[in-house]
Amino acid sequence: MSAQRVGITALRRVTATPSAFFTQNLAKSIVASSISTSQSRAIATERLTPDDAHTILSQQRLKRPVSPHLDIYDKKQTYFTASIWQRFTGLGFSGLLYGYSIAYLVAPLTGLHLESASLVAAFGALPVAVKGGLKFLVAWPFVFHAINGVRHAAYDMAWGFKKTTILRSGWYIWGASVVGALACLML
Amino acid sequence: MASIIRPSLLRPATAFPRFSTGLFQNTTRVAAFHATSRRAILPPLPQKIEGGINEPVRVPPPSPVHGHYHWTMERLVALSLVPLTVTPFAAGSLNPVMDAVLCSLIVIHSHMGFQNVIIDYLPKWRMSGINKAAMWALNAATALVAVGLYEFETTDVGVTEAIARLWHA
Repeated sequence: MSAQRVGITALRRVTATPSAFFTQNLAKSIVASSISTSQSRAIATERLTPDDAHTILSQQRLKRPVSPHLDIYDKKQTYFTASIWQRFTGLGFSGLLYGYSIAYLVAPLTGLHLESASLVAAFGALPVAVKGGLKFLVAWPFVFHAINGVRHAAYDMAWGFKKTTILRSGWYIWGASVVGALACLML
Repeated sequence: MASIIRPSLLRPATAFPRFSTGLFQNTTRVAAFHATSRRAILPPLPQKIEGGINEPVRVPPPSPVHGHYHWTMERLVALSLVPLTVTPFAAGSLNPVMDAVLCSLIVIHSHMGFQNVIIDYLPKWRMSGINKAAMWALNAATALVAVGLYEFETTDVGVTEAIARLWHA
């Protein structure tokens, strides 16, 4: 509230509740009742042609992010439970499948031995720790993708879509996928 | 606000004619004090405004084949993969028909997943040529993958058995 407005409010209060002291000041009361209480401020307007407006809109639209954005997630909120991890894990497996299948198809041309027997022999020759690590690297995204996929099906039925539920189920899925992947190593 | 601390985003783009063209067109400069530019992942391309400013976004004509049939099929394929991947390993048996069904559904699931990624990040309305090229490259790759998997299924031991053997190697 500006100083001027405070003064006006005080003066109006004086006129509304007359007292023995203030009503002696009749001239001030009369002045206050005649002051307009509506504010006025200078407004600078600018004339925009349709072309200018179009240019401004175009400039604004240039600043729009791509959706779904890759680096817009708040890490403290739902990043690690986000659906983008479903996409990362799925892309990893699909990329592996596409890469291997096409490589297997053209193996006669490239001369690589990609048949299962030689792959099994090569994998079996690795140290146990490396084998376990590689298996976990495959098993964890697989279990995560499977469990999180079921959650997404539940989302499609509009189940479990409260934000607290999303956060909690996300952490459960991380825990369950790590445990599940470790269980897969025991098989 | 002094112009040196005003966020550079608020300045008109023409204030930096050197940056407003070419490679740096979509670069977000964080603050005037930063000497290096920040380059966003997949910066948005210039957008075309069709018609007037106040016209709403054009909605494509509704089509169940591209709409809920597609959506429902995608979900059915995805959900049926859960029992199909678990059953062969749990039962410990090799059934060629089940293996073929599993492989077909995995190829469809992967193909639809890649399509979704292309639709999201290389949208047709913004880069129609790149979108078309990516879609056709994907179609070609999926066809090759299908042939390769058929070869693997018929001349090798099959996907389920191969994974089981690798796992116990």
